[in-house]
Amino acid sequence: MIPATLNSYLFVSVVLFAIGLVGVLVRRNTLIVFMCLELMLVASTLALVAFSRYNGTMDGNVFVFFILTVAAAEVAVGLAIIVALFRKRQTIQLDQLNALKD
Amino acid sequence: MTPVQLAISVLVLPLASAAVIALFLRRSGGLASLVSVLAATGIAGGALLLAFGGKDARFTAASEWLRFGDFAISIGFKFDDLAALMLSIVGVVGLCVHVFSLGYMHGDASRGRYFGGLSIFMFSMLGIVFADNLFMLFIFWELVGFSSWLLINHYMDKQSAADASKKAFIVNRVGDFGFLLGILWCQAQFGTTNLDALAKLVEGGAVAATAIPLLLFCGAVGKSAQLPLHVWLPDAMEGPTPVSALIHAATMVAAGIYMLCRINVLMVPDALSVIMWVGTFTAVYAALCAITQSDIKKVLAYSTLSQLGYMVAAFGLGSVSSTHMHGDTPHTVLLEAGVGAAMFHLTTHAFFKALMFLGSGSVIHACHHEQDIFKMGGLAKKLPITFFTFTIGVLAIIGMPLLAGFFSKDAILFLSYVVDKRVFVLLAFTAILTAFYMVRMWKIVFLGLPRSENAHHAHEGGLALTAPLVVLALLSVVGGYEWFYEKVLRGAFEGVLELVPHAHDTDHTVILATSLAVLLIGALSAFAVYRPSPTDTLAEKAPGLFGALVALKGAFDRSYDYYVAKMQQRFAMLLNFLEQILLAGVIIRGLAGIVGLFGLGARALHVGNANAYTYWFLFGVAALWAAAAGVLIF
Repeated sequence: MIPATLNSYLFVSVVLFAIGLVGVLVRRNTLIVFMCLELMLVASTLALVAFSRYNGTMDGNVFVFFILTVAAAEVAVGLAIIVALFRKRQTIQLDQLNALKD
Repeated sequence: MTPVQLAISVLVLPLASAAVIALFLRRSGGLASLVSVLAATGIAGGALLLAFGGKDARFTAASEWLRFGDFAISIGFKFDDLAALMLSIVGVVGLCVHVFSLGYMHGDASRGRYFGGLSIFMFSMLGIVFADNLFMLFIFWELVGFSSWLLINHYMDKQSAADASKKAFIVNRVGDFGFLLGILWCQAQFGTTNLDALAKLVEGGAVAATAIPLLLFCGAVGKSAQLPLHVWLPDAMEGPTPVSALIHAATMVAAGIYMLCRINVLMVPDALSVIMWVGTFTAVYAALCAITQSDIKKVLAYSTLSQLGYMVAAFGLGSVSSTHMHGDTPHTVLLEAGVGAAMFHLTTHAFFKALMFLGSGSVIHACHHEQDIFKMGGLAKKLPITFFTFTIGVLAIIGMPLLAGFFSKDAILFLSYVVDKRVFVLLAFTAILTAFYMVRMWKIVFLGLPRSENAHHAHEGGLALTAPLVVLALLSVVGGYEWFYEKVLRGAFEGVLELVPHAHDTDHTVILATSLAVLLIGALSAFAVYRPSPTDTLAEKAPGLFGALVALKGAFDRSYDYYVAKMQQRFAMLLNFLEQILLAGVIIRGLAGIVGLFGLGARALHVGNANAYTYWFLFGVAALWAAAAGVLIF
């Protein structure tokens, strides 16, 4: 078995980030877009962990803990907003949420 | 009270009076006239106290008013004999006119405005008299222009009065533009406009550029109504007659002469000869115009123009007598005879012209505001005091020996005789004309039989009308005698009057003979030609000559009308067209259009779709990365 190098981790991270970005760009469902955003965030934390491991320091790991904590809080807030949005507008499709245009 | 405090209170008194009248007494004419006359009395008293305060009461004082970096404007007093003389004239004539106005304007609905205007005028005029630097002089110069506008426009519901006030204001702007340029140039060359500092610099060898005195003279051309800016003064007679006496005969129009005497240190020979010729031609031209006038005030107005021309010519004749080479550098000898002669004539003229204007006011008042001399006649018996004093005024202006005008006019004639014979001939000719038109008016107004209902019922006004006439008549007699200034006034103005040139020996005989000859020729021919009739005798006997004189009088107004209507107006219309097309059309509308287009484009981006915004965000990130990586060069 080939030992995992830094590049393999970063490759996975970039792929995850790209999947998330494409999801954000093309999906219309707010919930999915939100999940894709989280995917991008996690992709970047993966890169941080990989760098930390490669450098032999704990800095990246510490960052990741903080990011995860904040992300959990943010997800709670974000989901709450989406629920409130659905209650108000009976839809969470992005192309119908264009009230700002007018 | 120190002289400085006294001077400040004399200056501020009329301002306070004007402020009180403007703020509280506009509707109550009686109180306003009282306040204004009291202020005038205070000014006259303070002026005489200052003028006769002896050598201790001559002072200079200044305090800084505005500062911009290195450049400061100060408000200051320069009170020398010249200022003392002018101050006394303004004070005394001002008081006479105020008192006369009490009678003349009695019953005028807007007396409050009138007396407020008189007070603000007194304030402005005193500012000119006291000013110790050219910027302060200019400020008060503009203020007298404003008060003159206010007072000419007193009968503002009359279109002609409104037009005349505008004309006076605009014509004066033309002259003042040159005046301001001259002041700025003076500041640029000498670094100061303080009169004493300038005198020191000139003593130290500095010579003003010829343009400076000429530009400053532009101010005098406007204010003292010299050719070619004289056109406003005859029209300014639309104002109440006491105003004409005070402002448009005795004081304000003389301010130009006073200003010239103030800046005489800056004079250079070239500028002086220009001044001399302008004054001479004004004197001749205005005297010719006066012959055809039928309005009593217009005759006096043209006579004023002519006499102002005399003063300007006197100034131009004297101040720098000759230039000779001193080593390699030309050295100019300062001879202030011109200042003396001009100020002497200014003084006597202020008295007798104010007297005649107030006399004409008394006549107009008696004839129920009839100003046409051909509708008067026979007033000698109806208005004895006016007739007597007016006659003194006429005799004084035509140079009758033993009256004031004789002495001052002779001084000027002598000066011109010595300096330039051509000017002498022209001025002597002017003196003939002066005697001619004055006797013409005097005879038509006062002799013969009354030629209209109004003249028939004329009767003398009250004491307020006659007392100023008597005072001014007295001054018109004694104002020319040296002993009057030396003994009675204890030599208070000798700093000016010792400069008055005196003829001796043969010159004296020549001048005396000339002056008597011109007086007799002018007066007797007018007396012989004119009959007290309802039409102009000259127009009947010599219509060609009369028509030529009328055309001469109208020439300036016609050419200015032509210029304004045919050239300036068309130029303005062209500019207006360009403004509409270029400024309003291309630049303003164009800019608005371009901004609007940008707005349209920006609105198209604003789709309200979160996905679209994400794409823009991505594009922004890419652009930022490109810029940071140096792919895009801004």
